[in-house]
Amino acid sequence: MSHIHIPDGVLPLWLWASGWALALALVALASLAGRRHELRRRVPILAVISAIMLVAMSSEIVPIAYHMNLTVIAGILLGPALSIIAAFIVEVVLALLGHGGVTVLGLNTLIIAAEMILGWALFNAFSRLLARRAAGWAAGLATVLTLLTTTTLLVGIVALAQNPAATLRETGALDPSTLRFGNPFAEGAFRLGLLSPEEAPATGVPPISVSRFAAVVYSLGPIGWLIEALITAAIVGFVARVRPGLLWQNGPAAKMSFGRRPAGDEAARH
Amino acid sequence: MDLAAVDRSATQGRSWLHDAAPAAKLISLAAVLGAVLVSWNVLVLAGIALALAAAVVAARLPLRLAALLAGYPSVFALIFAFASGTGFVNSATIVAKAVTAALAAVLVVLTTPYPRIFSPLQRVTPTIVGDALLMTYRSAFLLLEKFAETLRAIRLRAGLRGRQVVRSGRAATLALGSVLLYSLDLAQRDYDVLRLRGYEGRLRVRRSATFSVPASVAAIVTSLALFSVALLWRVQWRSLNPWSWLVPLLGLVALLLAALLRWRTR
Repeated sequence: MSHIHIPDGVLPLWLWASGWALALALVALASLAGRRHELRRRVPILAVISAIMLVAMSSEIVPIAYHMNLTVIAGILLGPALSIIAAFIVEVVLALLGHGGVTVLGLNTLIIAAEMILGWALFNAFSRLLARRAAGWAAGLATVLTLLTTTTLLVGIVALAQNPAATLRETGALDPSTLRFGNPFAEGAFRLGLLSPEEAPATGVPPISVSRFAAVVYSLGPIGWLIEALITAAIVGFVARVRPGLLWQNGPAAKMSFGRRPAGDEAARH
Repeated sequence: MDLAAVDRSATQGRSWLHDAAPAAKLISLAAVLGAVLVSWNVLVLAGIALALAAAVVAARLPLRLAALLAGYPSVFALIFAFASGTGFVNSATIVAKAVTAALAAVLVVLTTPYPRIFSPLQRVTPTIVGDALLMTYRSAFLLLEKFAETLRAIRLRAGLRGRQVVRSGRAATLALGSVLLYSLDLAQRDYDVLRLRGYEGRLRVRRSATFSVPASVAAIVTSLALFSVALLWRVQWRSLNPWSWLVPLLGLVALLLAALLRWRTR
């Protein structure tokens, strides 16, 4: 349950619009951070790691509605700044292929980016605690903890969608005299609550049961976490054996740019 | 995910939808998404989905591929609908929303080559995002092919057959690991190519030389009509709900006409 598989038009406008705004702000910040370094080093590595995630996400394990993500490995290889951009790119391509909604693209970017950054941080922490020969274990542990955290984040988002006070904000504005969210569009289309089923009880749309959603997610999720952790551990173990420099010597993304210019690249105009 | 088939349909297909301008198709996608956002009527959503299916048939798109791509999110939507426990009709509505939105996206992606889809996005995103978007799609083709090849080679060498789950899983993991290393070499090669060509930001996508104005207008008008129907039913639901069956009926008629047209001009 790495990213939200909630269709368009289910979450309230204020929630997914906030997700979009926050995701775009983070992507812009990450892109600005990247400008200081070399673009032509970063674009190819960003593209191939995003493509690897797409390859993984395109294979679904149907009975438990789970697909591989490889977000932790991608996070380890890309580092935090590029992870945010990779998460956005992957979600854009998936949305175009009908996998994952367009409106929830912002929230999905945030969840995937959180997964990549948390995975990267936990892997580095566990690698320091355990010996480097236990890279597979470190990656496996990091994956399980990361997926547990992001699944909780997902449940939190669904719970937020239930908050009737919050749904008022999608059409309202803060009234400074009362410090409450009022509705400045008392008449017209906004009054009808077109975009929020919770505010239109006449249409008979009941709220989502968060406890039931959490029960299903937490009972199916661990199977997926275990599969993902095993595969991540095996791949990281394999990479640690054949190309350990990719995991610890700053990773390919870092080596390709951050701070120092790679040998042979004089950045001259051709 | 058969990206090669998606790309083949987008580049080699010949239909009025292929001729429409990419920007018009993106506007149409936005209008259909608006309809999906607004509507909580399962019959209205079913009608919109049928109208989109009619467009798939009329544009001679690969039916199996379109159905697979549009049906994929329904599995997840079904789980979400069950998990959220909102009752049968609302569960059906959630699945209908997922399929309708996916079908609209699939219509765009099956009729527009990916550089043409990404070029409008490239203009509004930071350089690194726009360029990486273009290169990601290209890399995904190569990596999917490489993954399939490596997996096949490992399975043949290990003599693996269908039911050896653990050994097959191990082989798939090994293949994925090899593809990961290959992808890093691919990134290095791409970097060499970019450096050789003097890339300093912003890959250029050649704009489409010709597109059909009537096709573009037709795509926009049709999608706006679908949006209007959803909006009308949402606003005037008290008086219109008893007539909701009309929408899927019209959609079905459109689908049958499209099928007839496709069969006759085969």
